[in-house]
Amino acid sequence: MAISMKRQSTAQASAQPQRTPLTFGIALRYIALLVFSLFAFMPFILSLLGTFKTNAELTAFPPMLLPQQWRLDNWTRVWNFTLPTIQGPVLPRWLFTSTWLAVLNVLLRLFFCSLAAYAFARMRFPGRNLLLGIVVASMALPAEVTLIPGYVFYARINWINTYWPLIIPDLVVPFGIFMLTQFFKSIPRELEEAAYIDGASRFRTYWNIALPLSRPALITLAILQFQGSWNDYTKPLLFLQRPDLMTLTVGMAFFRFQYVNDLSAILVGAMFNAIPMLIIFFLFSKYYIEGASYTGLAGQ
Amino acid sequence: MAEAMTSHRRRQSQLARREAITAYLFIAPYLLTAGIFTFGVLLYVFYTSFTNLSASYAAASARFVGLDNYIRAFRDSEFRIALANVFWYFIIVTTLQTIGAILLASLLNAKLRGMRFFRTMLYAPSVASSVVMSLIFLWLYLRTGFINYVLGTNISWLQDPRPIFAPLYGLFGVDVSSVPYLFRGPSITWVAIMIMNVFSTIPTFMVMFLAALQDIPVQLYEAGAIDGATGWKAFWTITLPLLRPVISLVVVLGTIGTFLVFAQISIMTQGGPLRTTLAPLYLIYQKTLGTGTQAEAGFGAAMAFILAGIIILINIVQRRYIEQPSDV
Repeated sequence: MAISMKRQSTAQASAQPQRTPLTFGIALRYIALLVFSLFAFMPFILSLLGTFKTNAELTAFPPMLLPQQWRLDNWTRVWNFTLPTIQGPVLPRWLFTSTWLAVLNVLLRLFFCSLAAYAFARMRFPGRNLLLGIVVASMALPAEVTLIPGYVFYARINWINTYWPLIIPDLVVPFGIFMLTQFFKSIPRELEEAAYIDGASRFRTYWNIALPLSRPALITLAILQFQGSWNDYTKPLLFLQRPDLMTLTVGMAFFRFQYVNDLSAILVGAMFNAIPMLIIFFLFSKYYIEGASYTGLAGQ
Repeated sequence: MAEAMTSHRRRQSQLARREAITAYLFIAPYLLTAGIFTFGVLLYVFYTSFTNLSASYAAASARFVGLDNYIRAFRDSEFRIALANVFWYFIIVTTLQTIGAILLASLLNAKLRGMRFFRTMLYAPSVASSVVMSLIFLWLYLRTGFINYVLGTNISWLQDPRPIFAPLYGLFGVDVSSVPYLFRGPSITWVAIMIMNVFSTIPTFMVMFLAALQDIPVQLYEAGAIDGATGWKAFWTITLPLLRPVISLVVVLGTIGTFLVFAQISIMTQGGPLRTTLAPLYLIYQKTLGTGTQAEAGFGAAMAFILAGIIILINIVQRRYIEQPSDV
């Protein structure tokens, strides 16, 4: 199995629905899927409804599905929330940090991964297979194990409470190189060779021809990396210890320990974290699912 | 003629050299960042695991202590508890998430209307971060929460250290506290976190299985049907053997993921109650940064390398026995 343009098109073709008479077995399948889908969404539905309840309602037993009175108090309260040492409300600040970090990380990773992938897929140079082997091998190692003890290293180079450890070490992710290398290999060579013979440099052929043809793969990678950066918890927890620098994920964890009993605020925070991700997912779900199945291929 | 040949060859090798230089420029960012931040940090952490580096992280004060940290780790009661905890977590979560993902993928693998819709709906929850899930389940798992309400139970899910095997030992009149820690089984709180993790990781693996299922040619099932293999029989004799490589991969990824469980513990329990949810990575975090304990970064690094070694060993065994059919 390889990642290629062809694979995507066949996957789309096979997903075409057909008309089939409704039998008992099929009805059962639909019912099961409906139940599981509802079950999968239940935590989000319950907590979204929960954000409109008071703290007393949230801990009442038996729990109620709907709030007695729909109030936006929790949302405005969390949005305007302030901390003693920081000027201005803190949640918009965390939201902004998470956003710019994710966007910057996506752009940098797309550029550097595709550049390296282009060299691996199209150019001849000594040590190519060895280096590609290292890229693939480094995907299979539990590298996260050294992330936490590696704190000492970042402390030594004075990168604690800076954004550098969240940007620079993952500038070029092995998975991105691997995925795009496979994709570039599936593009017909002739398209680039014509341009190359006409005197365009390697960089120009990469930029003007290979990149535009790789849109689907680039979008898939972009979405996966955005999610990775937006949802990341361990790194910002380790490296961003001052509340004014935090991202939304660690900000909410920080919040949870400061205000243990303020459940409604905790739920609003969780929604601020989840909703942008869910919106992106529903807009790009096709690429998303392609990407998740690529993750599978990468490990083989 | 010969002269033209050599000049042509020289031009060729000149072009090849230029090509190689350009290629190395293209991969230079990877070589630099991986060299420093992946392999460099790895070596640095490996070095610190042989020192008594502590909170100030000042290399000058760190003394070389040989294998002391490693020896101490194997004897350390907290680390042993953390390994026992993560062992149960790994066994139960990887098993349940793999089976659940195969079943859901099989349910979705039909050429019917609406399958794409259901695939999207089932996948959606997995895009939420473990932080979001932890914050939500903090509320759902309350004594007055929805989970107790639906199950009709009255359990403090996140504050209950009772081992789940206790009733089983009770049947034989054995007091569970006399049994070695590992054999007591996970605590109720630990099981609660396991269930939450299974819930949020199934979709990703489901999509991987679905892609593999859609690659199985229909003709195989048609041929199987002639031989009388339909329904469950077809699933056991045709589908499962063909899924072996993906099962192997899902189990390997699941193993790495479960051994590195961190965020859920950090947000929900901090290792409690009674250290029954203490996982190795969380212990390493506490030791490295000195949260709630004395900072011993060198000791943390040694534990990290032991953990990495365990994961790699288990992965090798898994790949060997799951990937290829054992009877060939």
